[in-house]
Amino acid sequence: MAKETVVVVCPGRGTYNAPELGYLARHHAGSPWLAHFDAVRAAAGKPALTELDWAAKFDPAVHLRGDVAAPLIHACAFHDFLKLDRERFEVVAVTGNSMGWYTALACAGAVSGEHGFAIADAMGVNSQKHESGGQAVIVMAGEDWRVDPATARGVEAACAKVGVLPSIRLGGMLVVAGPEAALDALGRELPPLPRPPLRLAGHGPFHTPLMQASATAARASLPAAWFGAPQVPLIDGRGKVWRRFETDSTELWDYTFGHQILAAYDFTAAMTVALREFAPDRVVLLGPGETLGGAIGQVITALGWLDITTKSVFSLRQEEDPFLVAMGREAQRRIVAI
Amino acid sequence: MDAAQQVHEQFIAALDAGGLQRRSNLGLAAVGLTPQRAAALLHSQMVSRQLDRLSRKLQARGEGFYTIGSSGHEGNAALAEALRVDDVAFLHYRDAAFQIHRANRVPGENPMWDMLLSFTASAEDPISGGRHKVLGSKRLMIPPQTSTIASHLPKAVGAAFSIGIARRMGLEETVLAKDGVVLCSFGDASANHSTAVGALNTAAWAAFQGTPMPIVFLCEDNGIGISTRTPKGWIQANWSGRAGLHYIACDGCDLAEAWRGASEAVDYARRYRKPVFLHMRTVRLYGHAGNDVQQVYLSKEDIAADNARDPLLASAALLIEEEVMSAAEVREAYDAIEAQLLRQVELAIARPKLPDAASVMASIVPPKREGSARPLASADARAAIFADEAAAMEKPQHMARLISWGMADVLLQYPNAIVCGEDVGPKGGVYNATARLHARFGSARVINTLLDEQAILGLAIGAAHNGLLPLPEIQFLAYVHNAEDQIRGEAATLPFFSNGQITNPMVVRIAGLPYQKGFGGHFHNDNSLAVFRDIPGLVIAVPSCGREAVLMLRECVRLAHEEQRVVIFVEPIALYMTRDLHAEGDGLWTSVYEAPGVSEIRVGEIGVHGEGADLAVVTYGNGVYLSMQAQKLLAEQGVAVRVIDLRWIAPLAEEALLAAVAPCSRVLVVDECRETGSQSEALLALMAIKAPEKALGVLAATDSFIPLARAATHTLPSRDGIVAKALEMVRG
Repeated sequence: MAKETVVVVCPGRGTYNAPELGYLARHHAGSPWLAHFDAVRAAAGKPALTELDWAAKFDPAVHLRGDVAAPLIHACAFHDFLKLDRERFEVVAVTGNSMGWYTALACAGAVSGEHGFAIADAMGVNSQKHESGGQAVIVMAGEDWRVDPATARGVEAACAKVGVLPSIRLGGMLVVAGPEAALDALGRELPPLPRPPLRLAGHGPFHTPLMQASATAARASLPAAWFGAPQVPLIDGRGKVWRRFETDSTELWDYTFGHQILAAYDFTAAMTVALREFAPDRVVLLGPGETLGGAIGQVITALGWLDITTKSVFSLRQEEDPFLVAMGREAQRRIVAI
Repeated sequence: MDAAQQVHEQFIAALDAGGLQRRSNLGLAAVGLTPQRAAALLHSQMVSRQLDRLSRKLQARGEGFYTIGSSGHEGNAALAEALRVDDVAFLHYRDAAFQIHRANRVPGENPMWDMLLSFTASAEDPISGGRHKVLGSKRLMIPPQTSTIASHLPKAVGAAFSIGIARRMGLEETVLAKDGVVLCSFGDASANHSTAVGALNTAAWAAFQGTPMPIVFLCEDNGIGISTRTPKGWIQANWSGRAGLHYIACDGCDLAEAWRGASEAVDYARRYRKPVFLHMRTVRLYGHAGNDVQQVYLSKEDIAADNARDPLLASAALLIEEEVMSAAEVREAYDAIEAQLLRQVELAIARPKLPDAASVMASIVPPKREGSARPLASADARAAIFADEAAAMEKPQHMARLISWGMADVLLQYPNAIVCGEDVGPKGGVYNATARLHARFGSARVINTLLDEQAILGLAIGAAHNGLLPLPEIQFLAYVHNAEDQIRGEAATLPFFSNGQITNPMVVRIAGLPYQKGFGGHFHNDNSLAVFRDIPGLVIAVPSCGREAVLMLRECVRLAHEEQRVVIFVEPIALYMTRDLHAEGDGLWTSVYEAPGVSEIRVGEIGVHGEGADLAVVTYGNGVYLSMQAQKLLAEQGVAVRVIDLRWIAPLAEEALLAAVAPCSRVLVVDECRETGSQSEALLALMAIKAPEKALGVLAATDSFIPLARAATHTLPSRDGIVAKALEMVRG
């Protein structure tokens, strides 16, 4: 029987929260990769992921910090990817959101598992090197997931006016970033929104030129030699597809530690290409968590993909036979996991 | 076996069994192509091939509507590699590989999905919205064209020419880059079209005298046009020694060779801003289109020889020998593309189609450009421009002079406007309607063209693609017929086939219509506008006097600039120098020039002269002049007539016209154009349907060509004829 085709999506920051505490323990205990990751961290004097994951209590001050959240999320996602049942599912493309790009590199085989972790771990630290600033989520979509084009235009105009930059295009949401003062000023300029902008604790002004120090540090410590060609098509944060024989590994390295850090990450474009150009039978969102599922659902409905044009149709389809399989959700995990 | 399947099986058998052969020993390193870029080119070529195969299967299922393929022409992908993605490309219909490859260089593109939407005529097809299977993409700088009759070559030349003049004009916000190169591709058979020959001649003519013309003409020579062989060596013999044209030949079936030719051609055109004729030898695999059985006119041996030249065989051989990919890896990639397409296609078929006539027609008229209105020129700027004619401007003048001043004001107000045509430069046009423009605005903006109407209109269309506002002039109405397809098949259709995304706004000024005294005969007095009337979306204006000509011209320019319309502005030659209406010296057909911003005549506004209710004369152009003469004579006989000047032949202002004739029980249509196919037919039909109670009469020119001398007006409505007809209608 022909395998089902899937596009794999690697989640970014903000997906390991209190409910995810113990995710590695629940799903990936005893993994040799996990032991390796912990050993690497131990050698660098950093606390083990297993310890952090097995902590008695979720501590936002610890678990949401970049140098902890990034390796934790990467480890969960990478392990989930390894748990995908390859006998039944063929991965036709891999993509990711924001920090999930580093995981995507590893899942697609553009970097080794070891280097993938080293990159994610290092970038968790590096991502704290930036000019002063932060990120905020602007929810443009209403309860029905539709985005009024006038609202979108109004948000873009408000951002431009106060000097806030688009950071991540995320379906019906726009993550913006900029200096603190600009983010403060933004609230006064925004058009009426379904809910007020939400500042993201512990997040820097990711995907903007304010991250130059992070990019510089990454380029200095994470060599191009680690990079190779992906074994399956890899869709980046512009919607560009990196294919096996066409990939210049230096260019991939340059994008990863250049444009990817310093310019807006267009997850909407990445998902659009994933759906239209790879037409998978399902989309698999790796754990931890499933918060990215909303953005994916919004892209699906905005495209009218599979005739899914509203949130309610999407939900109905999800109940019947999920097109979007979130491995961070137990019931759906069983569909695709070994 | 199906011919497409045969070629497909030949490819996979060669991959599986080995024995693939390169077409030359030219290696990747020798031509400066990296292994990765070569692999990317092969990928694009294989996607193009698999799409061709799928298009035929779709047609068989009744789900696809286009099977003219690119198989055998995939070497054109090399041009997409050599050019920048902001170099505009006017493509031949066999250039799918080019578009796919360019798309693959631009993040966020979905070339396979987009092509499938196009095959299945989905309303979501991103270029035409389901109106036609055309290659094209706004983001990829590929304006859509069918290219079937090589009618895209003149505008490609125009676009290339516009790059140079935009630089000289100092325009910064052009669509094309200052160092841009234009690509224009076509087949060996369509190289024989007059449009192709004319456009190549135009480019060479311009380049020969040092005019920048950065264009690559890509002639994809597969040696056959449907079933007619191109004589062996014909293309090379014709174009390799042409003055002003740099000729390069390459083998499009050999990837390294194709890249060598492509990069050399692009480099030459960009570096020297001169035209290149890139003669790329290709092969046409499995016939002209899906329904073409080439065994009828080609021998088995010929077909086998063609199949052996399949560029995929050679591309794969090259990459395998250079150890970029193994044969198995090529096969795997080829199969993966097919599988991917098969997943996509069922979803593409299900996407919505154009549901009704309104949806189809939605892009005939392009969207307005909000906020694009230009401010009027300052008083100082105007004073400087008109300093040497200030005294004359205070006196009443005839139409030709008023138009020349109107044109000057237009050029002043719209810095992106250009005037082009035969003799429009220092001579000021045959009738002085462009007098002094050259001296006032320079040769970059007032361009003397060669004697070729296709080239003039092509220049306008191409320049409009680059953000300029062209005001081309066709010297006489009869001459436009030489080039009418540039308006009918190209300019007017561009918004339609691009779903309103790409436009070529312009105002085409044409001196025309009859009644010239003692000059010309038919070709200078042609009296039919039928060639324009049936073209959807076109605006057709015919002024009747100098004052209104200026006001209408300004409105036409506004329509082009703000509403992206293609406008035909027909100036009645016989009225250019006319000064008097009723008696010698009365000066009633002259007026003092009005500066912009005082009065206006908007599209759809008709003119009504007099309030007479005995009879309404509905007319335009020379007919207004004659009817107003008749109006006076009729008034002397107690018949009160109103003369209604349509001004706008299209779109016809039906409601305004019906309101204007409402007080009159009789309507006489006076039409200086030949009665068959003329506007009088539409006017009578309108009246018959919308105002059936009215008595109708018509005086139209007879279906004749215009003779010389005194006989010149025998076939035309006359003042006295109008009087007689009016009296007949009013008094019975």
